[in-house]
Amino acid sequence: MKNSTRTVIRGIFIALFALGLAPFAEARTWTSTEGKPLQAIFLGIDGANYKFKTANGTEITVPKDRFIKADQEAAERLNKIGDDSYTLASARKLDLLLATQLKKQGFASFNKPLPDDLFVRRVYLDIIGRIPTRDEFIEFAESAREDKRAALIDELLLRPGYSSHMFNYFADMFRLHATDFNNGVRMDPYVQWWRDQLALNTPYDEIVSEMITAQGNVGQTPASGFLLRDTGMEFDAFANFGQVMLGIDISCAQCHDHPFDEWTQIDFYKMAAFFGNTQREARIAGGSMMSANYANMPNAPENWIGEMISFAEANKGINMKNPDNSRQFRYYLRALGWNVTDNENMETKLPHDFRGSGGKPNDVVDPRTLVGKAAKTGGKTRRQGLAEWLTAPENPRFAIVIANRMWQRAFGRAMMIPVNDFNDDQIAKASQPEALKFVTREMIRVGYDLREFMRILYNTRAYQSISTAEEPDWADDYYFSGPILRRMRAEQAWDSLMLLSSGPEIDEKKGADGSFYKALLDVDFKTISNEAIWERYELWKSNRGNRMGNAMIAEAGVLEPVYFSDNELRASELPQPYLPGSLLDTFGQSDRIITDDHNFDGSVPQVLALMNGSVTSQMTGISSKIVNDLEELDGPGDQVRGVFFTLLNRYPDDEELKIGMTMIEDYGDDGISDLAWSLMNSPEFLFIQ
Amino acid sequence: MTHIAELAGKDSLSRRYFMEQTAKLSLGVGLSVPFLPKTFLAQDGAKAKNLIYIYLSGGMTHLDTFDPKRGDVMGPTEAIDSKVDNMKFGNLLPGLASQADKLCVINSMSSINGAHEQGQYIMRTGYNKRATIVHPTMGPFLEKLLGKQGEILPDSVVVGRSTSNAGYLNPALAPLPIGDPSGGVPNTTVSVENERFDRRMEMAQKLGNKFIEKFKYNGPQSYVEYYKQANTLLKSSELDAFDISGESNSGDYGSSRLGQGCLLARKLVENGVRTVEVISGGFDMHSDLQTSIGTKLPEVDAAVSTLLKDLEERGLLDSTIVAIGTEFGRTPDINVNSGRDHYPAAYSCVLAGGGIKGGTVYGSTDGSGKKVKSDPMRPEDFVATIGYGMGVDTKEKIYSPTQRPFTFGNDGKPVTKLFG
Repeated sequence: MKNSTRTVIRGIFIALFALGLAPFAEARTWTSTEGKPLQAIFLGIDGANYKFKTANGTEITVPKDRFIKADQEAAERLNKIGDDSYTLASARKLDLLLATQLKKQGFASFNKPLPDDLFVRRVYLDIIGRIPTRDEFIEFAESAREDKRAALIDELLLRPGYSSHMFNYFADMFRLHATDFNNGVRMDPYVQWWRDQLALNTPYDEIVSEMITAQGNVGQTPASGFLLRDTGMEFDAFANFGQVMLGIDISCAQCHDHPFDEWTQIDFYKMAAFFGNTQREARIAGGSMMSANYANMPNAPENWIGEMISFAEANKGINMKNPDNSRQFRYYLRALGWNVTDNENMETKLPHDFRGSGGKPNDVVDPRTLVGKAAKTGGKTRRQGLAEWLTAPENPRFAIVIANRMWQRAFGRAMMIPVNDFNDDQIAKASQPEALKFVTREMIRVGYDLREFMRILYNTRAYQSISTAEEPDWADDYYFSGPILRRMRAEQAWDSLMLLSSGPEIDEKKGADGSFYKALLDVDFKTISNEAIWERYELWKSNRGNRMGNAMIAEAGVLEPVYFSDNELRASELPQPYLPGSLLDTFGQSDRIITDDHNFDGSVPQVLALMNGSVTSQMTGISSKIVNDLEELDGPGDQVRGVFFTLLNRYPDDEELKIGMTMIEDYGDDGISDLAWSLMNSPEFLFIQ
Repeated sequence: MTHIAELAGKDSLSRRYFMEQTAKLSLGVGLSVPFLPKTFLAQDGAKAKNLIYIYLSGGMTHLDTFDPKRGDVMGPTEAIDSKVDNMKFGNLLPGLASQADKLCVINSMSSINGAHEQGQYIMRTGYNKRATIVHPTMGPFLEKLLGKQGEILPDSVVVGRSTSNAGYLNPALAPLPIGDPSGGVPNTTVSVENERFDRRMEMAQKLGNKFIEKFKYNGPQSYVEYYKQANTLLKSSELDAFDISGESNSGDYGSSRLGQGCLLARKLVENGVRTVEVISGGFDMHSDLQTSIGTKLPEVDAAVSTLLKDLEERGLLDSTIVAIGTEFGRTPDINVNSGRDHYPAAYSCVLAGGGIKGGTVYGSTDGSGKKVKSDPMRPEDFVATIGYGMGVDTKEKIYSPTQRPFTFGNDGKPVTKLFG
């Protein structure tokens, strides 16, 4: 990690010149206790000193206590997330490009600047995925610090809620789900791996490379879940790969040449051939009674399953001929062997009904990239070649796809729609062509550090504008005079409701991490004994079913499960996806079968849940902590403001204040709870403006 | 809002858009806007208005139910005579045997899907399960093609599941899921007295107005509608359609979830819901067949035979297709655990009511129930046949948002001669 950060920083210096960024113009002016200014880029804390780089390029070291308190606070923050001179310079440049095009298109400029109260709600929801508490709202509203917006953005980007909310996005995009694979095969370690990567802020290109090149089962190499997830549906998996990684939907070309685009059927199979010798699952040759004839697995003896079966039949009373006696054992062996391997005997063949040109039915095809340069595969596996080709800076699609998606997260609308299928013509005709090119290059410059990329977007004037009042048609060009109005994701609604019922402690609470299941599969065949594999099987058998997903390892190295309850957890910490019929499901959480399938539409069951559901009853009931706290406030005016701060995170206007006060004057404490109910059930609650 | 007549006059694209917008306005789906009359004529022979699809999940054994044979393959089951000559049933289905004149038994179902999930998927959608698209089940597809039938109540309900979606169609067409047939619609119990509830609603509306006016977006506006509908629903008697607690013949249906689900289906259809899917599990009988069928088949027998009688007495049978579907049959050879394993090569489904000619058997298997001998029917054909019976044009193409074309039953061949 350290090394790659350093490389990125070196890269920044080189790339900035080319991009015309002027970080020194944006560098913070630090103030000494005597009031002397120092304009410099902050490099970090070194013991009791701060290190800076000055405009003439020299590095200087100054004792901490020479600076005023506000600057010391800023130094603590920047030390964790990195100096923001580059960030702010990039944000300014982006604003300039956007504003220039807006003017060209006849717009005066951006929408009006977002007031503080709407800003705080928006960044809490956008960055950490939930509304702010009343205290968090007031703290920001009352702060007089000049840099309070940039500071709040940084602070939120460093909170666990940031990766939690980012996880929800990727869980949808990569269709993360832990269960419903063949007879007890699970993907919990893969799901947890994603949580971990986002918490570590691993660069996106590294995440992708690791997934593409993974070898082994999901316990040994959790990233292998990416390929194992679609075992048995390899061509569909490849069609998804095209959409998610390249922003190209080539699924039509599986059966015929693409009707609108340039892709042909042979293109599909040649590109798919990068996975042509990727074997997923240790298949069992020989029918339903399952002989010992499994395929290979990395670092395992060729006939490890046969050996294990002989061992179990000789010593453990297993009889493979009796399905009831051996069913669970077979399931465990299958889960253990459910792995990704490169198998040189496998190849990609054209389908028997191939109709396109460039090949004949059943021809063997070699891998060929769909766009850009050829992949270099010499001395590498096909998948390694693919990963390097994909994430190389000169790949024409990889950076733009993820930059466009991250843009969509901030602005509610992507530059290229839909995010998983746009072609070069559309890129050329983008509504904001220069800004699109710029953010694509910025994605590469920041080394796919998504947190830094989002930090740039959140610091733009464009983002910090009020939402556009009229819904732009998806078919029309939109020039990004500000974000558009968005409904909360199901997970944002869930996390906000959790906050209201359980308080901000939910941000820190962890759910089951898949470690128990991981340990049962994470065997090193070189050293493990048959007896130890058998021990894992017995644990597997006694913890089968849904319990398995909630089981965690009690202590490192000790194979003993502890069980986790789903209570009071944020959406990202729950089983993925969450239960059918749950509030998350009702509000549109994807069932993770196809990519980007979150549904933002409303429904009657949704509003019934907000009107009469358990969270509402709890929050507006007599033992509600929120309502009890509001009752303690000084008089109806403060109480009305308190309810607004709690639910809509804004100031009530005069009329709203009057309506609320009358309610409280007429109905007392009941009035407070009624007002809370009403704000939760006004459409504004579910929207991010 | 644009006037209905104005929209109806526009081209088919805007009419479709209009339908979708209208469909959005209700419980899972539509209130207050009566649907446009259908513009095309129903096909010959098609006279059904409603569909009750009883889905027996796990793979119903065909030999022990609707395709009994002689000899070893029968295991614990004996064939019994029915009301109709030449129609024989397993001995655990006496109620259905006594109503054989209402049933068309299809004994030539055949599928290539030997796994539950894939098999169920195609039997419910007509399409193979893919990782790149989700296909709608019959309920939402029928609503898409035929428009919404009722006003407040949804057009389709799925009983025995707590979630559902409409696939690539507008999410508003998703069937309303009811997990427990006797549990009603979730979150419809109001915890405060009426007057206070009204006060809350009124204030929510007052405080919400400015936001609604500030943003000209469909989203917030649609929530205003959903709140109106939810409020209407909570106060309307239509919710009673989901309450089966007072039904006098509840005992005849049986206390099983399948029985109570069929009772709810009858009540919903009677109240204007077009499609009700009742899903019941427990048919994956790998071991101890005798015990398993001893539990499940009497449930099926009581539930379905009561349903048919009940619909007939209420004059609804002619307009309601009752279908029994399952993903595959079970091996004619009994396995070492005295059970039967998955068997997609030959299996049975049933159609009744809604213009179906009763007392008939379509297709046949060989003497041991292993191979389809005549008139093979694939899942696609089964779905298309139901579509035909419901009066849809099974050739009409519906496009997904990515412009992929789909038809009701995936170009399956409707077997029109099943209708009389």
